[in-house]
Amino acid sequence: MPNETLEKMKESLLALDMDSTVGQVKLVVEGESGVVVQEAVDAVAAALEIVGKRFQEGDWFLAELVYAGEIARAAMELLGPLMAAGASQHLGTIVVGTVAGDLHDLGKNIFANYSKSAGFEIIDLGVDVPTEKFAAAVIEHNPVALGISCLLTVTADEIGKVIEELRKQDIRDRSKVIIGGAALTEEFAREVEADAFAPDAITGTDIIKGWAITQ
Amino acid sequence: MNFKERLLTALNHEEPDRVPVMGLIMDPSTVNQILGKEPVDFVSMIKNPESRDSIRDMMNDSSFWNKTYYSNFSDVMESSLKLGFDANWTIYAFMQLAEDSRSSLGLVWHDVYGRIWEMGSDASGNMLLNYSRPLCPTEAEWETWVEEKAPLFETVIEYATDFHQNLAAEYGDRIMPIGYAAPGIFENSWQPIGFVEFTKFIFQKPDFVKRIIDFYTDFYLRYLEGVMQSGVEVVLAGDDLAQKTGPMMRPDMIEKLLGESYRRIAEAVHKRNRKLIFHSCGNVNELLDKFVEWGFDGIITMEPTANVKLAEVREHVGHKLALIGNLDVSHLLVKGTQQEVEEAVKKAIKDAASGGGYVLSACHSHPFVDPIRLQWMVEAAHKYGEYLIRA
Repeated sequence: MPNETLEKMKESLLALDMDSTVGQVKLVVEGESGVVVQEAVDAVAAALEIVGKRFQEGDWFLAELVYAGEIARAAMELLGPLMAAGASQHLGTIVVGTVAGDLHDLGKNIFANYSKSAGFEIIDLGVDVPTEKFAAAVIEHNPVALGISCLLTVTADEIGKVIEELRKQDIRDRSKVIIGGAALTEEFAREVEADAFAPDAITGTDIIKGWAITQ
Repeated sequence: MNFKERLLTALNHEEPDRVPVMGLIMDPSTVNQILGKEPVDFVSMIKNPESRDSIRDMMNDSSFWNKTYYSNFSDVMESSLKLGFDANWTIYAFMQLAEDSRSSLGLVWHDVYGRIWEMGSDASGNMLLNYSRPLCPTEAEWETWVEEKAPLFETVIEYATDFHQNLAAEYGDRIMPIGYAAPGIFENSWQPIGFVEFTKFIFQKPDFVKRIIDFYTDFYLRYLEGVMQSGVEVVLAGDDLAQKTGPMMRPDMIEKLLGESYRRIAEAVHKRNRKLIFHSCGNVNELLDKFVEWGFDGIITMEPTANVKLAEVREHVGHKLALIGNLDVSHLLVKGTQQEVEEAVKKAIKDAASGGGYVLSACHSHPFVDPIRLQWMVEAAHKYGEYLIRA
């Protein structure tokens, strides 16, 4: 039988009601709902899945996606510390950055925010990131995925250089590489031998979730 | 027809002698190639401890800034003339260098609106500049910022008016300067705060968001008045409302937040018998009806990489909007062959130019747009763009 608190939590997140969502989460945290923390985490994740679908299907827009992500983050900030030892609230780590010569970061930031809300730990290298720094971050953080972003077509060549650097350092198989950005395409991802292309933050996160599960 | 008659005829949805061609904000890299100038490696000068402080002080002197900025923009207009454009987008900006420990260079640009711009260099050493982060992420910081900067906002309007006046006086008999008002109301509202925080405010503090938008609408209208007084006959309002896959906000939310502001802008422009062209990056397909409803005369950009198809836009809006742009800058005007450029020009003309109402142009600009490809675009327009359309 569905738990009322969990149902309300999900409903209020999908209604973009921050106060109500946080209120339901607090009931869980205070032990007044008969819900264990993991169930609440799963409910937040399930709501985010619906948010993602609504965005992908064009029913929701960026502003709603971002705000839903913020509500989920507020919920996870309360639930996270109560997760049982050994239970993982993180799906894994994603290293993200914008390639050298490119200073645009809105898309990357939205992806990072959404992925974080979805349960990943994000290591954000920022913008104009040199090839070697991407490689060093893969060695240091052993991420599920390396997310490389770029807006401009010509700076896109830098993506190929990053992947080449991973090969050169013999660490290409340590992490999947996913790319995204206004000028990029699926075809380009194949050309530079990235593992995937993300047309938007949701698809990117979904792809990486798939990798995290099979890792 | 001369350049002016050609452009205005097209914007009036009548057929001029041939399809006009318009230039955008040309990047220094493109300009230097056209004029045969060497890049100014500004970032290296900033990195050099011996020149850093003097460069900062010099750039923060407003008369030096304005002189340098005008000179750079003169180069844009000269390049545009050399390419044979009928019109070119003109844009004024006022920025100051500020110390910033979060930046690898230790210095960033602040604009008057509360945005931080980071510097970088392209492969030739030309400076690249991009909006990086907000200066006023909280309500209190935003209030303080606009209060402190109030006199500067007024000064910037004066500078922008002078800038456009000088450009119109110097170039107006050879090319149409397309005047540009301040950064768009939506951009100016969210960028000084940051998109995530602004989004939160939309849902949590709607009154504050309304105050921001009202503030920038009033500012925008005064700025626009200055631009129009300068003699510029067509103005361009730039406000990125969309990203690659669609509008950044639900269209009815955009209407609620910004619709009245856009209507006021269109009214102000039409009151002075000028034309208003609206620029937004991204997939604007869902906003086309709004553009008509708000009273815009035309739209520019229509990025093909954001799935905006010129023929479909024309079919959707008919001749209620003049259409400008749509030539790809991800491949075509960067690395495309002459044949590819010719084919794209022919297709654009075929898709949108019948009956007037189309101005050929790149969909956007960036440092790697190649002047030779721009030249091919102009040549193809001359070859295939004569009415009756031969494409």
